[in-house]
Amino acid sequence: MHTWLVGICDRLQNVRVVVWLVTAQYAYPFIQWIHFTGLSLWLGTTLALDFRLLGPGKRFQTAAELSDALFSWNWLGLCIAVLGGFTLFATAAVGYIDNPAFRLKLGVLLPLALAWHIFVQRKSRTWGRAPETPTVAKLAGLTEIVLWVSVATAAVWIPNY
Amino acid sequence: MMSRLCEWLEQVPWIVTITNSAVLISLVWLAHYFGFFLLVGTTAVVDLRVLGAAPRNQKLAPLAGQLFPLAWTGLGLVIASGFIMFAGQATTFYPTAVFRIKMGMVLLAIVFGVIVQRKLPAWDRAPSVPAAAKWLALASLVLWIGAILAGLEVPAFIPV
Repeated sequence: MHTWLVGICDRLQNVRVVVWLVTAQYAYPFIQWIHFTGLSLWLGTTLALDFRLLGPGKRFQTAAELSDALFSWNWLGLCIAVLGGFTLFATAAVGYIDNPAFRLKLGVLLPLALAWHIFVQRKSRTWGRAPETPTVAKLAGLTEIVLWVSVATAAVWIPNY
Repeated sequence: MMSRLCEWLEQVPWIVTITNSAVLISLVWLAHYFGFFLLVGTTAVVDLRVLGAAPRNQKLAPLAGQLFPLAWTGLGLVIASGFIMFAGQATTFYPTAVFRIKMGMVLLAIVFGVIVQRKLPAWDRAPSVPAAAKWLALASLVLWIGAILAGLEVPAFIPV
């Protein structure tokens, strides 16, 4: 299984465009840029809903209204982030699959956070009807913030291995 | 004068401690990332809405009212963490052209952000968003996304 995976990663890493991205001067930051721009849209809108569920500050919209207004931007952001993230992975795929921080991020934390996000987004329609959200909604929002911070923490730690 | 200040900043004990600790500097990076996720993500949504990209016919002012506090919180995080990131390598960053361009873009984007926030209720009441507002929103969007790119390009442009 592992040899097979390494084989795929090795081929991915040697695709001509990928090799060019790694060797061309100033090109690599552009891939990071796609990843971070997507993440800004994805996490900016995701955290906005989580904070609304938590409920501090003035309330201009219910959580349900906010979720509805942000929905398209939210998922567009994830698509951009995944596009950039996959390309970043491709540039050094063989090294990444054996990196403990990367494995923790992609194998455990990201799927967990993503599943939790879908749950919170769906539930916010019922939790978010009234200006004041129920306690369970606040806990769910807080949990999602913690999950995404843990995903990013694992990502930031990748270069330390 | 400025190079003296940069040299001094790099020697400040608590900045040296943070810069030399893998854990502490990672936390600062994390704060910087989450700061601009909040700042750029929420600002981009408002800008895109001013530009007329909306999934449905919703009023803009309530959404913007909900998002602006998060954008300013993000800005606070970005400035605090960015200052520590800069201070640790001040003499390297300060003369780098891309870093100066980034700072210029950020300052201009903040000014545009303040204008958008102030004018938004009036734009929302008007039958259609004025053309000037759209140019302002477009400039804000381009500047923030451009600032992310400039920030990422800084390491590639540091003079050897």
